[in-house]
Amino acid sequence: MKFKLNFSIASIAAAALMSTSAMASDLIITFDDLNPDKKAAYDAAVEAFKKANPDINVTANNGDREAHKGSIRNALQNDSPDVITWYPGNRMGPFVDAGLFMDISDLWASDENLASNFNAIKPTMTRDGKQWGVPYSYYQWGVYYRKDIYDKLSLSEPKTWDELLSNCDVMKEAGVTPFTIGTKFLWTAAGVFDYLNLRTNGYDVHNDLTAGKIKYTDDRIRATFANWEVMLDRCSFVSTHATMSWQDAIAPFANGDAAMYVMGNFSVGQYKDAGLTDEQIDFFQFPEITAGLPRAEEAPADAFFIPAKAKNVENAKKFLSFIATAEVQSEWNKAIGQLPPNAEAEINTDDKFIVEGMETLSTAAGLAQFYDRDAPAAMAKEGMQGFQRFMLDPSTLDEVLENLDKVQAEVYK
Amino acid sequence: MTSNTTVLTDRFATATGRAIAAGVVLVLCVAALMFVSTDLVQELFGYSQNIKAREPTFFIRISLLIGAIAAAFFLITSLSYYKRNKVAIAPWMFLSIGLVFFMIYVIVPIFQSISYSFTRWNGLYDINGIWTGEWVGLHNYKLLLNDPNFYTSLWNNLLWLLLFMLAVPIGLFIALFLNQTVRGIRIYKSLFFFPFVISQVVVGLIFTWAYNPEFGLLSEIWSWFFCETKTNIMGNLTRVCSPEPPSILGDETMATYGIIAAGLWPQIAYCMILYLTGLNNISSDQIEAGRLDGAKGWKMLRHVVLPQLKPATFIAIVVTVIGALRSFDMIATMTQGGPYGSSNVLAYYMYDQAVGEGVGRYGYGSAIATVLFLIMLVYISYFLWRMYQDEMEAR
Repeated sequence: MKFKLNFSIASIAAAALMSTSAMASDLIITFDDLNPDKKAAYDAAVEAFKKANPDINVTANNGDREAHKGSIRNALQNDSPDVITWYPGNRMGPFVDAGLFMDISDLWASDENLASNFNAIKPTMTRDGKQWGVPYSYYQWGVYYRKDIYDKLSLSEPKTWDELLSNCDVMKEAGVTPFTIGTKFLWTAAGVFDYLNLRTNGYDVHNDLTAGKIKYTDDRIRATFANWEVMLDRCSFVSTHATMSWQDAIAPFANGDAAMYVMGNFSVGQYKDAGLTDEQIDFFQFPEITAGLPRAEEAPADAFFIPAKAKNVENAKKFLSFIATAEVQSEWNKAIGQLPPNAEAEINTDDKFIVEGMETLSTAAGLAQFYDRDAPAAMAKEGMQGFQRFMLDPSTLDEVLENLDKVQAEVYK
Repeated sequence: MTSNTTVLTDRFATATGRAIAAGVVLVLCVAALMFVSTDLVQELFGYSQNIKAREPTFFIRISLLIGAIAAAFFLITSLSYYKRNKVAIAPWMFLSIGLVFFMIYVIVPIFQSISYSFTRWNGLYDINGIWTGEWVGLHNYKLLLNDPNFYTSLWNNLLWLLLFMLAVPIGLFIALFLNQTVRGIRIYKSLFFFPFVISQVVVGLIFTWAYNPEFGLLSEIWSWFFCETKTNIMGNLTRVCSPEPPSILGDETMATYGIIAAGLWPQIAYCMILYLTGLNNISSDQIEAGRLDGAKGWKMLRHVVLPQLKPATFIAIVVTVIGALRSFDMIATMTQGGPYGSSNVLAYYMYDQAVGEGVGRYGYGSAIATVLFLIMLVYISYFLWRMYQDEMEAR
């Protein structure tokens, strides 16, 4: 015992000596977005952090988003960086449950900024009553539409389901396909499903469904699909959607062949790259279906986590505190055209989509992450394949729902 | 007499000395291998960051490993037992390195994967390196039997095997056609061989574009017959077709055939080159003799040429079967198994369930892999049996 005590005192002393003698300490960050604007914003934040902490040796890695989804497993188990990006909600579940992410509840409690300015998004970062990450950005979903087409047909933004459907009738009459979408990579269909479900049944049903508490053959979910069938019939989608990515689907939108797009705000830059101007495009919230239902919205967040095997935990926490500050969140999200989770952060008031998005989300009764982030990945994959199948052939509905029930029973065990 | 003994003892001494030296080096290398870590290398060479010590550590470990292997060989070759049984042991020493890696990277994973198929596991080890799965017995296999996606994939695998065989006769036909001495024939041959040189991923991309119902080659041709160009509401030109061009990769009934057609393109080239080399080696005497006996055209091909091409045919069939089972790349680039899993094959479905996009059903994926393995085992056993028979005949 005595020996042990001595040893620990010695090691503390040694550690103290080490930290004073070796001035520089390390911080390794792994990020997952190579899109030019996203990459630039990340690089800028890292540079600012370096400037503020000259004694920390920062190694900033960046990689492809889809590849990151696979490589993070290895990164967390063998070769941990000190900070890594991942998705909150249920997508962080497996890693939290396996103890691969570090519990940073202490940081959320001790850091004043985190404690007071992140209340809206805190539940998303929480699992088992503890906080596991710090979000740096989120964005609204909704319907992006061609304002010039709407004006030409003397239509106005629909507030209700019936208005949307009658708008669609007018568009089809004029030879315009109401909605564009590209379902090759499946998740876009989940955005449509989520909105129909949120508007038909509300936030709690969305959460219960993605948490496996409601079956897909439940009458409430069937009601959602019934609405979807009406939508497919009266507001048709572009016919070749199964072969298109979400970027491909912008082409008919930009050409004026299709007038609306259920999408996330990250897409605005791509519309502009396709030659559309701020005057030509606009945004409205997905219209009400069940009257009087509290309005919930999709607002997926991106976050930073500390792997449990991180070597430089103190520096990692410093970095998380840093990116949570109002200034950094303002700069970062202005650069990428998204919303800062920090309530004190400024938004870009010149960007009408950001202003409207802020308005949409701050008045929402609940924020959903997204079908494929709220549901476990194995369920989401089957679910989204089912959505795509239903969209291509609504008569397969029963088969689709029964299969999803089967998968659900297996996945949530 | 005395000189003779000294020579003997000398030789004995040097051999023992060498053995001991090799043994010491071996022990040192192995001990050092266990000892070397990135932290140590960082310390020794004064790297400011741990991450920078990784590369030198890797090289140090590799050189220690090579040193250990070399020392082990020295040690074995200086043993008197080895000297007495040289002929029996030497081949195994050459084989040993390959065998070890074959064990580590092929044999062991096969059994690991079979054992995972009896578990439910999301592919993760926890922070202490403890496996997080649970044993579920035959559960995954029961699920497989009820999984419509599994049957779709199995059926598609069969389609691939059957339709891919078309590459063999088509390749033969092109080879016969090209097997003539015309000016510039080499250019034609290389043009036909060209698709085999392109990577599968590129072939997949080219065909994906060609099939695209909006701007692809096929829809372009389609539009000559069925489409007219109109101005839409915004005054932009748009194409209106009736009927609409087929969306080959977006339709569950056509997607698999579309991918197989794309896969056939390079595979035909491969079979063609096999037959071309085979045709080069055909004995002209037999052709001559056949001609004297009045054989020509189909009869000549059937009874004189084809029997001589038998080895080429065997290889062509083997590589085509392998090609059909390797359809993974094409599916990954062209449809990712879609629409809604209708163009999956077992290999891609396995990847999709276990590794792809973090779905993480490793147990289920392993069960699919095991079924695929059993199916392939039939073919592999036949192939090995056939090789064995040939060997026996050769003796």
